[in-house]
Amino acid sequence: MMNTDILIANLSEDVPKVSRHAVARRVGTGLLVGGMVAMIAVTTLLGVRPDLHVAMRGFAFWMKWTYTISLGLGAAFAVTRLARPDTRSLQALWILAVPVLLLAGVCINELARTPPAKWLAMWLGKSWMACPWLVLSLAAPIFVGLLWSFRKMAPTRLRAAGAVAGLAAGAWAATIYCLHCPEVSALFVLTWYSLGIAIAAGLGALIGPRLMRW
Amino acid sequence: MARSEEQLKALMVRGLDGDSAAHAGLLRALVPLLQSFYRRRLRGESDVEDLVQETLIAIHTRRATYDRGRSFTAWFYAVARYRLIDHLRRQRTAVPIEDVESILVSEGFEDASNARMDVGGLLATLPPKQARSIRDTHLTGKTVAEAAASAGIGESDVKVSVHRGLKALAARVRSTRHDEY
Repeated sequence: MMNTDILIANLSEDVPKVSRHAVARRVGTGLLVGGMVAMIAVTTLLGVRPDLHVAMRGFAFWMKWTYTISLGLGAAFAVTRLARPDTRSLQALWILAVPVLLLAGVCINELARTPPAKWLAMWLGKSWMACPWLVLSLAAPIFVGLLWSFRKMAPTRLRAAGAVAGLAAGAWAATIYCLHCPEVSALFVLTWYSLGIAIAAGLGALIGPRLMRW
Repeated sequence: MARSEEQLKALMVRGLDGDSAAHAGLLRALVPLLQSFYRRRLRGESDVEDLVQETLIAIHTRRATYDRGRSFTAWFYAVARYRLIDHLRRQRTAVPIEDVESILVSEGFEDASNARMDVGGLLATLPPKQARSIRDTHLTGKTVAEAAASAGIGESDVKVSVHRGLKALAARVRSTRHDEY
């Protein structure tokens, strides 16, 4: 066994300056690189919706982006929190419910203005069977990017860290998926987008303890 | 060489700013703290020095995760405790009882509430009189006399029910433990 004094001398040979924002930067880099892979997958495999420039002037597109981006920002913040060996309470994470509740409000409004005979068609849209799985698939490269971020981190609640990493990956995957998906109903987004994001979070919680150990 | 939170934090912050002498001073000051932390929790084990060195390496390689605005010792002991838990997991030894509480907290509140539900589940497996006696005297905090009055039975009956019920529960918990490991 190496002498502890020698170990300390060796470790102290390389003491680079560390930025205050090192954790946020590394998490951001992981998200960005993973997001770029997901973006390439959408543009080459799925294809960007041809009417994107028209859609970007409408309500539905921004309703979807507001939901997925606010969820993605909240989850990314939670990731930076759980990347540290922090003993603070996780109660603040309830704020992640706010985007979901706001979208549920939009849904109620939408249902009130649609005749009940059209509810089922609105709920299922044209792509309900594919949507959650595509969101989940696009989340995979982003989750891998976050795993890279975590290699220099020190999470102590591995299951929670895995869950929020999965949530962040799912929410940003859904954000990118919006460039392809032509669905316009809030009820569709609340159900099928959220399902894909939730599965990503669940898988993250499942494999986090194994992959985020240090 | 005992150090205060302020002194350790100052060394850490200077190390983060690139001062290698301060960083070395910090690591040296942490050695006795880690030795006593691990020695107290790994009674009679020879792994203390290994664990101290592993933790020094973790503190060095993951120093970016320290937030300058927060307590240094809280960060430091969170890292030390994680290394201890990981060490025990690898050794597959039982976790010392004194640490279960903090491990529960670090694993998230779900586990703590599961433990509470376990008690309810276990009590449900007992005869109603024993379950009620245990619940009254051990969970809701009634005296034996109050429990006897509310159940309409004698005081000695309550005492005997509690005794038999706890014995049965202990046997049951022991047998499920064997199943799990």
